[in-house]
Amino acid sequence: MEMLVNTVRMVDYDQLKEYSFGDENSLKENLAIGIINPEDFEKLNLTTSLNLKLSNEDGKVIIKVKQKEDVPIGTILMPVSIWANQITGISNEQLIFKNIKVNAETTRDNVLDIEELLNIIKK
Amino acid sequence: MKGVKKLVNKRVKCTGCSLLCDDIIVRGDGLYIDEVIGACLKGKEKFEQITGKNRILSPLVRDKGELKKVSLDTALERSIEIMKESSKPLLYGFSTVSCQAQLKGIELAKSINGFIDSNSVICQGKVLNTAKEMGLTLATISEVINKTDLLILWGANAAESIPRLLNKILFSRGKFRMTGREIKTLIIIDPVKTASFGVMGVRDLSLNIDPGKDIELIRVLKEECCTPSGFPADGVAGIDQDDLKRLLIQITNAENAVIFIGQGILSSQTSVNVVHELLDLVHMINIKQQKGRMSIMMLGGHYNMAGFDQVALSLFGKNHSLQFFDNNLVETSETIISKLSKEDFDCSIIVGTDPISHLPWKLSKALMSKPLILIDNKKSATFNVADVILPSSLTGIECEGLAYRLDHVPIELQKIVNPPNNIISDEELLSKLISRLNPI
Amino acid sequence: MELYKFLPKTNCKKCGKPTCMAFALDLLQGKVKIDDCPPLLEPKYKKNYNTLKELIGSEEGKEKELRIDVETDLCDGCGICVTVCPVNARYCPPTLSGKAPDYPPEKHQLFQVKAGKCELLAIKYCRRIEAQGRERECRVCETYCPRDAIKIDYV
Repeated sequence: MEMLVNTVRMVDYDQLKEYSFGDENSLKENLAIGIINPEDFEKLNLTTSLNLKLSNEDGKVIIKVKQKEDVPIGTILMPVSIWANQITGISNEQLIFKNIKVNAETTRDNVLDIEELLNIIKK
Repeated sequence: MKGVKKLVNKRVKCTGCSLLCDDIIVRGDGLYIDEVIGACLKGKEKFEQITGKNRILSPLVRDKGELKKVSLDTALERSIEIMKESSKPLLYGFSTVSCQAQLKGIELAKSINGFIDSNSVICQGKVLNTAKEMGLTLATISEVINKTDLLILWGANAAESIPRLLNKILFSRGKFRMTGREIKTLIIIDPVKTASFGVMGVRDLSLNIDPGKDIELIRVLKEECCTPSGFPADGVAGIDQDDLKRLLIQITNAENAVIFIGQGILSSQTSVNVVHELLDLVHMINIKQQKGRMSIMMLGGHYNMAGFDQVALSLFGKNHSLQFFDNNLVETSETIISKLSKEDFDCSIIVGTDPISHLPWKLSKALMSKPLILIDNKKSATFNVADVILPSSLTGIECEGLAYRLDHVPIELQKIVNPPNNIISDEELLSKLISRLNPI
Repeated sequence: MELYKFLPKTNCKKCGKPTCMAFALDLLQGKVKIDDCPPLLEPKYKKNYNTLKELIGSEEGKEKELRIDVETDLCDGCGICVTVCPVNARYCPPTLSGKAPDYPPEKHQLFQVKAGKCELLAIKYCRRIEAQGRERECRVCETYCPRDAIKIDYV
């Protein structure tokens, strides 16, 4: 399904906080997430045990999904983090952090750890 | 302890975000901080970083893929080696260090023929660049408290990014705005219903704009300001006609309006054009208006992002992206983004920021492929890939310094407690590097 | 407000209160009983009387206690409650310009932000208990909390 990703800053899912006080697990739990509307949650046939795979021409990432009613339909909100930056790109020397077009599909694969992610980027 | 007095009921400045609140009460015995009163969650976390479990407490050098604890001397030597081997070093960050350290950073860039850039280039630097041609009306926080009657949050979720901002600007009762919240009107323009919408009253206006359509709204408003001919019947950018009329009445009749620009505008695809049009609109309204004026405030996240702009502007007349050669500034149109995407560098020195998390992975990959020296106080994604790590103390808590608030007002930061053993400030670290590079 | 709908709304003052609205508020807090309103006992208000009885239920007559709940999980310490609270504004002048109040807190101070979370100090000085008339309906802290962390309730 075609969706739009917006990177946002949130108090609850803040990378500065996670890097200062968290460990690898809490980092993954609180930053590798996307917030979507419950209607989209049903449309994507998601359950709490399934993850969401986002892909576009810039890259791909697997995230956990949380629901919130205030999010507009067709939009995914992601906290600014290394996970969100797997699908961001550059156009015309400007970084694209808002309204990123992605293809979203459900997956059984696990969310990657930060170490695994860094190794993939290196290659 | 020498130099640190007993701190019961002392008001201090907080470096949790760019608002630099100066009314935080810190209680402690001079060695440790026990209680932080008045600070928001972000500020409290900043004060807790002193003893945070991911604090870097000793210099580290990567040897065959493994990070090893070394003495400061060894780490400095290794950094000098990296710098001497390179011909095109890249310096990046500087938005969470004091202005003094930023000056030293520029000096270091000069002595190694480097390219220096701050986080501002992907944030509020765009506004300042545009402002060079068009002019910019800024307002200070006290002005907003005392005079403003219209606040527009445009693509900014102030309630979550700078928690105490709405408290200070919207709910406070100022000199000419004695009734506080009742006399101030709030307009929020955002595609998402954020936490900031929670403070809306009955007279306020919430506009759910279609994502990426800000520029259409600004153009329509500009047209209406010049030649009133009525808005299109089906609305613009997802906002209907009635709301557009109310918006126009509000912005043209306000005595003292402030537009708060957030990441929604600063980091969108067409940000440069949007900023250009927005400044033009503000300019137009200011000319038309008889009694009042409209100003702009940029909401950056890091506490001293405005500082680097000010330091670089006062020294070189350019607010970011400075390329040096033979102690002189060289004319260049390149930024950190073009440098990284072309891989036009051979080592990088990152000060107080985390580009691996902030930048798209293609740029991170370029950073990882070259030697990386990191000066920071806590672990981050960049920590995991750095070759040399120099730990620094927390400015505003463990050492003094100057910082510029988001409204470009300089604030002197204080020292509250002593830093951990053998940890020195960013400024001292950078000047040690400089003195080792050019021994007398 | 729900209760007010079923009162006679004549402001006859027979119950001793100035308005029917004031009576409704006291009814909500359990300070008066339904039977204290003489016109309600008349046959033409019989239906309203029964509805009110159902609404109030078995708790009738019990003194209800004001409670202000601050949910610490939601609170991010923005301090808006500290600034908007009219009691704070009267006794702690710094809050007028959005500053944090002095420490230790003044005895009338209702809210303070400590360690990044809002804390309720002295509920007995809240306007809902102390003030008279319209001021008694004060709900500013609940209305303006951006993250809906404050709830005013009677238990």
